[in-house]
Amino acid sequence: MKALKTAAALILAALTLFTVSGCSGNENSDALTVMGRKSDMEKSYMTAIFRLYESETGNKLRIIEYEDSEYELKASEMFAKGEVPDIFMHFNNADLKRFNAAENFLYLNGESWASDLTDSATAYCEDPDGNLLGLPFWESSISGCYYNKTLLDSLGLKPAATQAEFDVLCETLAEIGYTPICWPADGCTWMYQFGLDPIFADDDELLEKINANEVSYSEIPAVKDMAEWIAGAAKKGWFGQKYAETGWDGIGEQLGSGEAVMTFIWDTWFYTDFQGGKYTVDDFALMPVFMNTCAGGTYEGGNLNMMMVNKNSEKLDEALNFLAFCAFPEHYNAAFKGISTVSCFKGQTTNIQSDMVTEAAASIKAKERVSTAATRIIGYSAEDVAEAFNSLLSGGTDAEGCVKIMDEKRIEEAKSQGIEGFTD
Amino acid sequence: MKKWVKDLLLGLSLFAVVASAVVIGMVYVNFSSKRIYEDSTTHLAEVYSQVQRSFFSFSERNWALLKGWNDYIAIAGSDTDIADYIYGKTDYWGFSQFYFISKEGSCIAADGNPEDIDLESESYRLFSEKMPVLTGQTLADGQEVTLFAMPVEHADYKGFGYDAVAVSYTNDDLSSSLNVDAFSGKARCFVLHSDGRVLLSTQSGGSVFANYLVYLKAASDISDGDLDEMQKHWENGETGVLQCKIGEDTHCLLYQPVGFQDYVLLSSVPQNVISAGFLSVQKMTTTVLLVIFLLIGITVTVLVLLRSYKLSRRNRTELMYRERMFDVLSNSVDDIFIMIDANNYGVDYISPNTERLLGIPVHEIREDIRVLEKCAVSLSIVIPKDELAEIPLNGSKYRECECMHQVTGERRWYRMTVYHMSIQNVRKYISVMSDRTLEQQMNQKLQEALNAAQSANEAKSNFLSNMSHDIRTPMNAIVGFSVLLEKDADRPDKVREYTRKITASSQHLLSLINDVLDMSKIESGKTSLNVDRFSLPQLLEDISIMIAPQAKAKGQEFLMHVQGTPPEQLLGDKLRLNQILINLLSNAVKYTQDGGKIDFTVTELQSPAQQYAKLRFTVRDNGIGMSEEFQKEVFAPFSREINSVTNKIQGTGLGMAITKNLVDLMGGIISVESEIGKGSTFTVELSFALPEPEEAEEWFRQKITRLLVADDEEEICLDIKELMSDTGVNVSYVTDGESAVREAVDAHNRGEDYHVILLDWKMPGVDGVEAARRIRAEIGASVPILVLTSYDWSEIEDEARKAGINAFMPKPFFASTFWQAIKPLFFEQVSPAASGDEPDGRVMEGLHFLVAEDNELNAEILTEMLEIEGATCELAVNGKIALEMFEKSEPGHFDMILMDVQMPVMNGYEATREIRACSHPEAKTIPIAAMTANTFAEDVRNALDSGMDGHLAKPINMTAVRALVGKLAGGKKSKKTEDGKE
Repeated sequence: MKALKTAAALILAALTLFTVSGCSGNENSDALTVMGRKSDMEKSYMTAIFRLYESETGNKLRIIEYEDSEYELKASEMFAKGEVPDIFMHFNNADLKRFNAAENFLYLNGESWASDLTDSATAYCEDPDGNLLGLPFWESSISGCYYNKTLLDSLGLKPAATQAEFDVLCETLAEIGYTPICWPADGCTWMYQFGLDPIFADDDELLEKINANEVSYSEIPAVKDMAEWIAGAAKKGWFGQKYAETGWDGIGEQLGSGEAVMTFIWDTWFYTDFQGGKYTVDDFALMPVFMNTCAGGTYEGGNLNMMMVNKNSEKLDEALNFLAFCAFPEHYNAAFKGISTVSCFKGQTTNIQSDMVTEAAASIKAKERVSTAATRIIGYSAEDVAEAFNSLLSGGTDAEGCVKIMDEKRIEEAKSQGIEGFTD
Repeated sequence: MKKWVKDLLLGLSLFAVVASAVVIGMVYVNFSSKRIYEDSTTHLAEVYSQVQRSFFSFSERNWALLKGWNDYIAIAGSDTDIADYIYGKTDYWGFSQFYFISKEGSCIAADGNPEDIDLESESYRLFSEKMPVLTGQTLADGQEVTLFAMPVEHADYKGFGYDAVAVSYTNDDLSSSLNVDAFSGKARCFVLHSDGRVLLSTQSGGSVFANYLVYLKAASDISDGDLDEMQKHWENGETGVLQCKIGEDTHCLLYQPVGFQDYVLLSSVPQNVISAGFLSVQKMTTTVLLVIFLLIGITVTVLVLLRSYKLSRRNRTELMYRERMFDVLSNSVDDIFIMIDANNYGVDYISPNTERLLGIPVHEIREDIRVLEKCAVSLSIVIPKDELAEIPLNGSKYRECECMHQVTGERRWYRMTVYHMSIQNVRKYISVMSDRTLEQQMNQKLQEALNAAQSANEAKSNFLSNMSHDIRTPMNAIVGFSVLLEKDADRPDKVREYTRKITASSQHLLSLINDVLDMSKIESGKTSLNVDRFSLPQLLEDISIMIAPQAKAKGQEFLMHVQGTPPEQLLGDKLRLNQILINLLSNAVKYTQDGGKIDFTVTELQSPAQQYAKLRFTVRDNGIGMSEEFQKEVFAPFSREINSVTNKIQGTGLGMAITKNLVDLMGGIISVESEIGKGSTFTVELSFALPEPEEAEEWFRQKITRLLVADDEEEICLDIKELMSDTGVNVSYVTDGESAVREAVDAHNRGEDYHVILLDWKMPGVDGVEAARRIRAEIGASVPILVLTSYDWSEIEDEARKAGINAFMPKPFFASTFWQAIKPLFFEQVSPAASGDEPDGRVMEGLHFLVAEDNELNAEILTEMLEIEGATCELAVNGKIALEMFEKSEPGHFDMILMDVQMPVMNGYEATREIRACSHPEAKTIPIAAMTANTFAEDVRNALDSGMDGHLAKPINMTAVRALVGKLAGGKKSKKTEDGKE
């Protein structure tokens, strides 16, 4: 999921031709070291803030970047050797555990800029104990159920506010020949987290237990509820007749033609991938996702790349100053100018926010949840989970079997990572 | 009626029945559906009228309560009291919120907090008109509520000036109160504005409909015009029912005014849900009807099937009977029936007798009819498909064919007729193979008989032609020489010559007549065998006596051989065997040129049983031979090969036919091999039963123990040694005359004379006669010497006897012949010349005969002949007179009776029996000899059976008469002679 989002962002970032000259491969030992994925470092707002920092302060930054595929491994090796960079960029996800945040990174709750962060950004960047781990300096989007408002209006229907209404809406649409939900099962595996997020985002204890291998999906009724709902929806035709053959490219086609009315996606997709048809992006609106794990529905908050400070760095002050430089409204507004993203800072004004998100602001505010399943459940793999659901939808297993497969895949992945509690 | 007409009528009838059932069903379904629709809409209207009344009452109640509560609030003491009062009502009545609303649009709750209520202008208009208001609201948290408001007099509450009070109910709560369970939760019920906006819905889980009119426009099949009309009904507060299709389902829409403002109560229920009950009745009714129809159908079907089954079974039984009967019938005849399917040429039926008649299993023919072709001898049995296809429908085709049984090889003839016909519209070929075997065989036999008859007729014609010639020839001689005899009666030499020629011609004529009569008797089946014990050596000797002179007359060499050691005594018909062999040998002599050679060989064959002896008699000559064609007919009667040689030879052409018939009668076989110009070989094989052996004459063993044999053929010497091995006689042999002399002298000198010396006549060097002379010269006359010869020894007999030879023995050598030859030498003083068989020339002299002869001429001849012989006779013209004469005669008056057989009054047989039975002292002893032209063995046997002692064939041969008289009455002559001497 995150990879897809990253890919979308990359397309936008590709417009930016700038690179931080001197960062990569700069061997200046006085320079502040900033380490991150190569594609992340090439984002336009990142290069902009690096350039601005160096130009405004005269300080130099040494950018250490690795290809995305080898980043985790290289970073792990460096940390293992004690070669921790001054600034380390990482998403606040399960993989962060391997870098031992408590020992290596400085908690930033006391920094002046912390209060300028939006609530959702703060929530994302905190550990379970409320320690602010880093400065979110990243583009973000809201994932939810995007629906064809124009079509719905023309049918005399209105968006659902509850799971029950959502089910009625799907049934009503299916009754008159529409595909209520565009569910691209072929190669698209990003939706399941929406159902899991309410389960684990609202219950930190449960999240800890699942990551400690003290509880499994099979022991959580809501997970099975989700699986049963998906199986039922498919059976009742809510995903249409050709969801099994529909892939990523099919979403735009079905939504643009009006064949499908709703889909679970994020707003940036409409600006980067959706080609439109009979219906364009202006015809769509946002409502919560309903997957039978939360009566009121949910939105998945954005995944944010954080700049974390090496608490043991000799350049600790300089690193903190760098973060303060980035969190300064004038600077981040300069860096994010024209970037389509949900704001991370309260004072962020130059970024672009879609009408869909804006119109649903109240609902988002009420129902948004930090991205939890995809980022914080150890061993979660969208691809592996997809296997379980494909088996479920093809009739190869029932809901219980589906959940069991999800557990097996998760535990297998956790074992492969050598996570404590999963290894023998 | 034709079948297709029947089929058409049946099809039309079935179609009419089915069509009627379908029409009735459709009428019923249409009618019932219409009634169901009417009933269901009525039911729907009743249900939702109740809902409307309920909702109306609920609204009226709320407004009434609001008015009442406001009255209390107006007089209440404090805001706290008011709040408590309101909270109490909230708990009691279950509304979600109580509102105070100003005419400016602001609103507070009972707790005094402002609420985000956004009333439409219409509501304020109604307030101004003191009219209650019903409206919907979506709260900040997304919850949807329905608001009941009542305009009141302006008042203050907690400092808030208000002009109306209201209570709200969450739509979920309200929906549940309006929900109708009557339709299994499938019904939708809305309170709508007349423009379609949804105030609230009874839909479980909440409403997703914003404007139901828009929804219907987009999702139903209601036309815009109907929608507009319906909306007008709403606006006018009218009630109505509409049926439409939403998605795949048909819905029934019922609308009616709520009773205030422009609100409409709309219910939408799937038609199938409304009609579920009625439909179930319809279904049940339909099902019951179907079941009834089905039961009737099943009953009718079962009855039809039962009837059909009975008919079918009866038909099958009849068919089975017919098939069985046909099988039995076909098994009892020799006709074959085959049915072939014209489409695939498969065998549908083949009669079970086929295997019996043709030797091919029926199942093989069923698999492939072409196997029948194996039986075809000439023409094909299986008619090819293309030829079958050429047979027109109801036409036929036939052919004759000959078949051979595949196991036995038996031939059968059939006339095969193939019919092309249509049986129940299926074309078949029915092949009937009518057996023509008997007819064919009969035709063949008839043809053969015809051929035989033609051949016989031709043969008889030839015979008559030949006989005409053959009979005329001797008759001509007889007549001619008789004339000459009369003319030259005074010339004794001429008389003797003519008489001899007349006699010869008469004998030939007689033999012709005998042959013809013999053949006639054989053909009439009256010939039988007289089986008795006879001596083979004697038979051979008799044959030699008869044939040797004939051969000699033609300068032919006649040799008789015996191969092996055939038994000497046999049981059989000696006369017939003699006749067979004489016929063969006579022919050999007859058809062999002068100076030719005739070999007669008797060979002992391996007998299949100990009690029987099997002999082969071979007559081989180097004469003129026969063509191959004639060899095939040589045994047919009246057949003679016609060529320049045979034409000169007299014969009836019956000899071989008689011979063949006699051989057949004796159970033997006869065959011939011949080549023109090289001669012929006739072979006869016969089996004879062996008689009980005679007691050996022991005296030989006492008198004779040493025998010297001299023959240049050592094989003969060895045969003699073998033949004598069981007799105790020690046989020594030499192969030439000189050795014989030397051996005889040596033995004599040793004092061990041979008891008998047997010399072959014709030996190279010293022959038998010369050797005998020398032996006699050396050792005297003490040792009997016999000459063994296959030649006529009469010419040398005198010389031989002078040379000291005691007796002659014919070849081949037989022990019994040997004993007979030497027996007189040891016990009788018989002169060598006395051994001949010629009867005494005056044997009849002095005898007195009774002659019974009805033919005067014959009687005269016989009388004259008897007188010539020195005898006398008395004549009787029939048997009765002869009997009387004998009875009246004195004993010794007649020496013998010569009895003709065929006589009037009393024939010879009867007269003989009477004589034998009479009281005359000599009745049993007087010799009686038959005189008859019936010369067959049967005649001889009949004569003997009647009590006669001998048989004389007519015409009377005096030689035979002398011999017979000598045999039968010789004793009387001697006695008379002695008496005369006396």
